[in-house]
Amino acid sequence: MRRVIRMVDVMGPDLISDLPQSIIESILVKLPITDAVRTSILSSKWRYKWASITQLVFDDKCVPFSNDREVVERSVVKFITRALFLHQGPIHKFQISNSMLQSYPEIDQWILFLSRNDIKELVMEIGEGEFFRIPSSLFNCRKLTRLELSRCELDPPHSFKGFVCLRSLNLHQVLISPDAVESLISRCPLLESLSLSYFDNLALTISAPNLKYLYLEGEFKDICLEDTPLLVEISIAMYMTDDIAEHFEQSSNCNFLKFLGGVPNLEKLVGLIYFTKVTLCSHVFIVLDHPQKVVYEIMYDQLYFIHFCTFLKYLSIGIDSVHLPIMYNNLETIELHQVNFEDTKEILVILRMITSSPNLKELHISGSSNIPIAADAPDLDFWEKGCLSDSALNKLKTVKLSEMGGWPHELEFIKYLLCRSPVLETLSIIPCVFDMGNNLKMLIELVKCRRASSRGEVIFIHE
Amino acid sequence: MVSGMMKPYIWLETSDGSIQQVEQEIAMYCPLICKEIIQKGMGSSKNCAICLPQRVSPATLSLILDYCRFHQVPGRSNKERKSYDEKFVRMDTKRLCELTSAADSLQLKPLVDLTSRALARIIEGKSPEEIREIFHLPDDLTEEVNGQNIRHPDSEADIIAETSISHTENVFPHKEFDDGDIDDGIDPALKEKIDRYKSKPYVFGNHFEHREVEDFARRLNSDWPERMQELLSSGQERKTRLFSPNGNSFLRRNACMFFHCL
Repeated sequence: MRRVIRMVDVMGPDLISDLPQSIIESILVKLPITDAVRTSILSSKWRYKWASITQLVFDDKCVPFSNDREVVERSVVKFITRALFLHQGPIHKFQISNSMLQSYPEIDQWILFLSRNDIKELVMEIGEGEFFRIPSSLFNCRKLTRLELSRCELDPPHSFKGFVCLRSLNLHQVLISPDAVESLISRCPLLESLSLSYFDNLALTISAPNLKYLYLEGEFKDICLEDTPLLVEISIAMYMTDDIAEHFEQSSNCNFLKFLGGVPNLEKLVGLIYFTKVTLCSHVFIVLDHPQKVVYEIMYDQLYFIHFCTFLKYLSIGIDSVHLPIMYNNLETIELHQVNFEDTKEILVILRMITSSPNLKELHISGSSNIPIAADAPDLDFWEKGCLSDSALNKLKTVKLSEMGGWPHELEFIKYLLCRSPVLETLSIIPCVFDMGNNLKMLIELVKCRRASSRGEVIFIHE
Repeated sequence: MVSGMMKPYIWLETSDGSIQQVEQEIAMYCPLICKEIIQKGMGSSKNCAICLPQRVSPATLSLILDYCRFHQVPGRSNKERKSYDEKFVRMDTKRLCELTSAADSLQLKPLVDLTSRALARIIEGKSPEEIREIFHLPDDLTEEVNGQNIRHPDSEADIIAETSISHTENVFPHKEFDDGDIDDGIDPALKEKIDRYKSKPYVFGNHFEHREVEDFARRLNSDWPERMQELLSSGQERKTRLFSPNGNSFLRRNACMFFHCL
């Protein structure tokens, strides 16, 4: 046998193969997994360099595209199984984000393998269809710091003591009993970031002493933040069914306190809109009987329901009966959407939040684009009453108001802000597109407003 | 703790034995140098110059110091830093490899990440032959047997690699392309409206209530001909007409509509 000498050998010394494995790893983990595995045929030194990387990410591009889902699924399973079999050394991060892969028996073996190899970050986002049931070997992954699961069934055993190292938990469309979720959260003492989405009718009490970031999305029955003193950022997109909302109206609880009563370190609060997608037909609009509850929006031939029983409505229940005990000294950003300016309780929530946040810098509110039913007799006394303190918003710099219809309560709110913000720099107003006549009326009123800030600019964004 | 005065300059010795003076503030951006100064008190004079690791040549040191000089300034925006980084890594592969190695030995992790990303970009999507040529890798997995080139004894890794090669040919366009260039066949005006939507703070749920849908569909069918007439007969004014408070009373009572893209 004669060794073939390639031209390449005489071109110069090898630039890369002798670099330390830490650098090789740094390069290989930035490549798609297929390119990383391919390096095994570059040269004899490169044969197994890929096999000791500590991060394995399998996405939709790791096998050839085909319209036959089962063919793709089989390829993915084969590829992942072989890669794991050839791998040597610890695996710190394992991620599958593949929409073709559904529940497959091999997945159990993979998780078992990972549990024996010091897995720290596990992300499983597999396809729609049959929900995959997470095997019990997951609960043996003692070193887990990050867990992200989508579309699966999770059933922690009773003896499960929690993930002691877990810092980030993200459950998306996961079938798990509410008790199990609560107990899972409370048994992960280092938990800093929690994200729960697409849950049905969840009633949750969160007890997480180290929690800093909270994201909740979906249908909720009740949320109570029992022990979350370090919470810094809250982002909620929730909705409630009618019967739950009505039940709340009857109760004497103050939701605001239950939810925001124990978060003195809050820096950012965001209340988003929750959309439900329904593909019906294109180019259609419809009107509905309950303008306060649901709004339809057409976007690119899909129909979307916006649910109005939103976070803000939830917070408004019981608000007028209590006095807020806490100040949010670190709260700098508030973003609340689909505010129903006809409901004075919702306005009260915003005002209470604003006046309890002495360092508030940025406020972003979007209205509800409803034409008020009671347009002829708004309760403007609300603004006169002494329940509104005279405290100035001393740090408020930026205000953005969108979906403004120019209705009386909205205008009063704008006046309120302008009068009390001595360092305001910009107040932008984006009207809802629909009524030019209304916009003109709004502008006329705005021009009259008194301003506390000499530098403040009121910007009316006209499409 | 540093004893004595904080001097503005320190002395560094590179692999070739040459010694140079560097502003302390800038050099301290490298963790290794920082440790040498603080823990061992080195670098304050020519005699006790900090010996840099073997992999740091004068040329690469100069590049590293440029990087440090830019990034140690606190006021810069992320955009500025990113822009600088992108220009910074434009160099030939040999220098890029040397730079990565040197940055690693100085424990300057952000620079290692930057350069490895650049190297990964070079490797991504290329055939083995191209990669071997760029990095001067020997093709020592193939041997000639009786006049024919054969692959070294099969290993599982080769099998995976083989399958991966044919796979990647069929795969979607690479990340090398700018997102903006990908043409997914949508009309640009509509696309712009969609993009406007994407920037809004909406969260998309995925379940819907059948009851609501059916009610909705029923109502839709009953009003449909009337509604369609209005939609078709108006053009731009569609938006204002339907929302005018003086308009159709049915609408006024129940109106909640958005027309953002029709």
